[in-house]
Amino acid sequence: MSFIKDFWYGKPHTAEEGGRRLGDNYLPKTGLYKHREWRGVKDTFYYFHNIWLYNYLHMVMDVMKYGGIINFVKGVWRYRWVGQTYLPVLHWFDRGLEGLRGEALRASAWHYRAMVNATIYQFMSMFNADTRLHGGKKNDAWYHTMAMKETTWGGMFYGWSDKFKAVSLEMIPYFVTCHVNSHTVHNYIDAVQSIGLPGDPCPMCQAESGLFVLDDIPDYSPFMITCNEACDGSVATAILQDWFNDKPLYALQMPMQFDDPLANKFVQKDIEKCWKFIEEQTGVPMNFDLMCECIERQNELQKFEWEKWEVAAKTSSYPINGVAQALYRIYQSQFGDLPIWHEVDAKVRPIMEKCVSKKINTFPKTRHRVIAWSCAPLYYSNWCTWAYNAWGLNVIINMDSLMFDMTLRTDSYENMLEDVATYHMWAPMRRMAVGGMHHIFELWDYKERFNCDFVMMYDQLQCKGMQGVHGLFEDEFRDRNVPAIWMPHALPDSRTVSRAEIRRIINDYMSTVMHEEPLDPSLLELDDDMTW
Amino acid sequence: MRDLKHLIYFENLLKEANNELVKKAKEEGKLALGYTCYFMPEVLLDLPGCFSVRLRAPDCSSPDIATYYMSARVCHYGRSLFERALEGGYNFLDAQMATETCTVTCRFQEHIQQKKLDSVKDMNVIENDKFFCEFMDVPFKNTENDYQYYHDQLEYHVLGKLKENLGVDVSDKAIKAAIKQHNEVCKLINEIGDYRKLDNPTITGYEFHVIQLVSLVCPKYLILPYLRETAKELKTRKPDEKWPFRCKVVLAGSENDDPYFTQLIEGCGAEVVCDRYCYGAVESRQPIEIREGETPLKAVARHYLETSNCPRFMPQNEMRARKQRLADLVKEYKADGIIICSNKFCEYWSYERVIDSFIMQRDFGIPVCSIEKEYINTASGQLRTRFQAFVESVEIKKIQEGK
Amino acid sequence: MKKIAKLLGIGVGAYAALFAVFFFDLDGKFLFHVFEPFVKNHYDNMPRRDMTKMPYDMNKYPDYKYDEV
Repeated sequence: MSFIKDFWYGKPHTAEEGGRRLGDNYLPKTGLYKHREWRGVKDTFYYFHNIWLYNYLHMVMDVMKYGGIINFVKGVWRYRWVGQTYLPVLHWFDRGLEGLRGEALRASAWHYRAMVNATIYQFMSMFNADTRLHGGKKNDAWYHTMAMKETTWGGMFYGWSDKFKAVSLEMIPYFVTCHVNSHTVHNYIDAVQSIGLPGDPCPMCQAESGLFVLDDIPDYSPFMITCNEACDGSVATAILQDWFNDKPLYALQMPMQFDDPLANKFVQKDIEKCWKFIEEQTGVPMNFDLMCECIERQNELQKFEWEKWEVAAKTSSYPINGVAQALYRIYQSQFGDLPIWHEVDAKVRPIMEKCVSKKINTFPKTRHRVIAWSCAPLYYSNWCTWAYNAWGLNVIINMDSLMFDMTLRTDSYENMLEDVATYHMWAPMRRMAVGGMHHIFELWDYKERFNCDFVMMYDQLQCKGMQGVHGLFEDEFRDRNVPAIWMPHALPDSRTVSRAEIRRIINDYMSTVMHEEPLDPSLLELDDDMTW
Repeated sequence: MRDLKHLIYFENLLKEANNELVKKAKEEGKLALGYTCYFMPEVLLDLPGCFSVRLRAPDCSSPDIATYYMSARVCHYGRSLFERALEGGYNFLDAQMATETCTVTCRFQEHIQQKKLDSVKDMNVIENDKFFCEFMDVPFKNTENDYQYYHDQLEYHVLGKLKENLGVDVSDKAIKAAIKQHNEVCKLINEIGDYRKLDNPTITGYEFHVIQLVSLVCPKYLILPYLRETAKELKTRKPDEKWPFRCKVVLAGSENDDPYFTQLIEGCGAEVVCDRYCYGAVESRQPIEIREGETPLKAVARHYLETSNCPRFMPQNEMRARKQRLADLVKEYKADGIIICSNKFCEYWSYERVIDSFIMQRDFGIPVCSIEKEYINTASGQLRTRFQAFVESVEIKKIQEGK
Repeated sequence: MKKIAKLLGIGVGAYAALFAVFFFDLDGKFLFHVFEPFVKNHYDNMPRRDMTKMPYDMNKYPDYKYDEV
């Protein structure tokens, strides 16, 4: 009887005998599965049809739609970051969606689908224009693509979006691919260190520079916009990038003390200068009406995000897991408007509404509602899926999701510009990390707002800004009696702190400090050293 | 060479932030205003009734409590300053005029700031009731927009707060007086520093480093008589008959307020003839010119954005021009090479050092020694080996070129 | 009828095969053990420019100040 029940519903999420043991599904070291998880008939076949097959199929269709198979194959053959990363995408889904059931599985998977589409759109835009894939020829696409540093908000270029594509230089080659396959980024970090850069600067910036050192950046645009977000490392990266890129460069600045009363006007002017630079380079004036249209569409996305936050904060019916929430939000708000975000939001909305109206407890084994603070390990963004399955730690919200917390006005040029300036200054890794220590300690307000009782404190070992407030956080956690785990990591570099080490730290805290028993003991110790 | 009359006195002044002259000025009722970064214009902190102190933490080799608060993975300089502050070494300060120009000094200054927030405790580090810490924002470029912004920041956060909190006279007349005093310091330091351009310099890099530092950390009006006397003394100072060094170098790089580091280099045979680093004189001792129709504050704002060679500056032409300026300094000071050093964990200079190492050698033919150092250089053996090897390579190059 | 049955059989077979690929993670195993080592070897050995030879002209670009804005 129990076998039939397990077959039909999947094994229950419990430490008791007969509960599911997700850790047993793995093959040693590789993170591959002996077999994928049996989630019960309904969810297994949902995963098979609507996630696995659907996404493989759409990965092909998206490539065809955005530039064709020939450009794609050329790009795969030329660039390590896409060749080694494109196909394991479904494993990235697996890692992030492990153990999910019902509405949570469905809503979270849609977020992944959106990110895959946005990624394909960007790398195909690069490949279509790339002189390296077209015999050195500067084609029409090359003249109609703009390049910017990955930390520049895509909305800055809305005013040209009818004629030009804006694609960030490092977002796909390093940032996104690192989540899917963390092996590739090591090459870039090692490359920049091989020309004399010490190992201690932020590894994200190292990877951004290393892409150029290893000659692994497409040449797809006549010019580039750089910016100082988020930190000293970003500023410094621009120095090396300018040498290797050797193209007209505009440095778009973000004041560090961004809520200074004088900052906004100043940035507005700098943004206008940036637009002037683009106009000069492209010969096309900025289209204010188009800018407003795109902003309006982006505002729609933000409004839905607020609805999601409301559900996440006030109910246990929020159907999006920690990793899907975090990655989708940062991707969407940083990139700016794109049709896929709207399509996916339209899919997620009814799922969420159903959860709320039927009071579905989407993560029923939640023991702690977790807020994750500071910047997350890129190579292990799915730690929260593991933490829920192993310990019932449910990540409700994270710091990066909260960055662009605003809609932008379009009723006049002046208001639009003022809001664009504010949005620009509230960039990821920045809104809470610079501009005064009080921003980083907004943690307590958000912890209350999202009704969380537990903090996962990311400890990016090479982030000088966060390391510089380490002790004060220790003191505050102690004084406020807030359970908090410090998770050391080095953003993209999985060699500094392994995934196993991260899990060990969480396991130790949960058992020795919280005195709790795991929900799935098979997940406590895994050897996934070589996994993507 | 005969010893400089005041050198030992100057060295003693550098042993602690609250030195003899600082104490004297405080006794005279002057206000002590701390700062760390070039972008906080020293001249505005030297307004009548105040004096500037560029913060140092000499001999701080083990910043234990600061390491608890800031971790061991940030710049030793920032941690050392905080440690010194926790030890009470900066209690004489009436204000800290802060900039968020590099992450770690920013965090240090935030730690000593009374934030008056519910979200994070105030540590009450500086035991001085009057004390406040005010941050200003500094742009990354030097367009008209940036000048104006920087000007407004100085007006609001520096002059405004000094007047509001400490009653300092911030009138144009007062700023002009500060500029006049500043320019005299610059004139003397440059006069002293120019002896390094001689074929057989009559001042060593170490001596100059000490003199430049005392001009940054002591009240100007009290150090000026000593600087005047030293400048006069140097007019007649005779060099050693035989130049005691084997080559001349420009020392460039990140924060460096450690004259023993210069001494270490010179001990290996390379005379440091130019100091293009934070706390060096190349930028900070250029006189401020008030142009026709400019207010004194406008002149100050323009001056500091125009003269900085900090790798924090991002415009493409500026990033590139920095290399040319460095090459020009090598020529001006008749140096044989460049030692470029970045402090460990300094993000700006880690990158700038990499590109300088390639470009200065490749495009300008200037030998470069590229090193990473600590704030306090306890591992001098390793550095000595590097410098000795560099000096030898420069000598070989000179022989090959028939010099 | 036979044709339909045959087509149905092929369909069912293909479906079963795809499901087997999915369930036993054969796609992952192929990519990990075959595809990735192959492309990795290719990328490791492909000729690349020495980027440190890139020119670095001091006066190539104007200042982009746009002070008139």
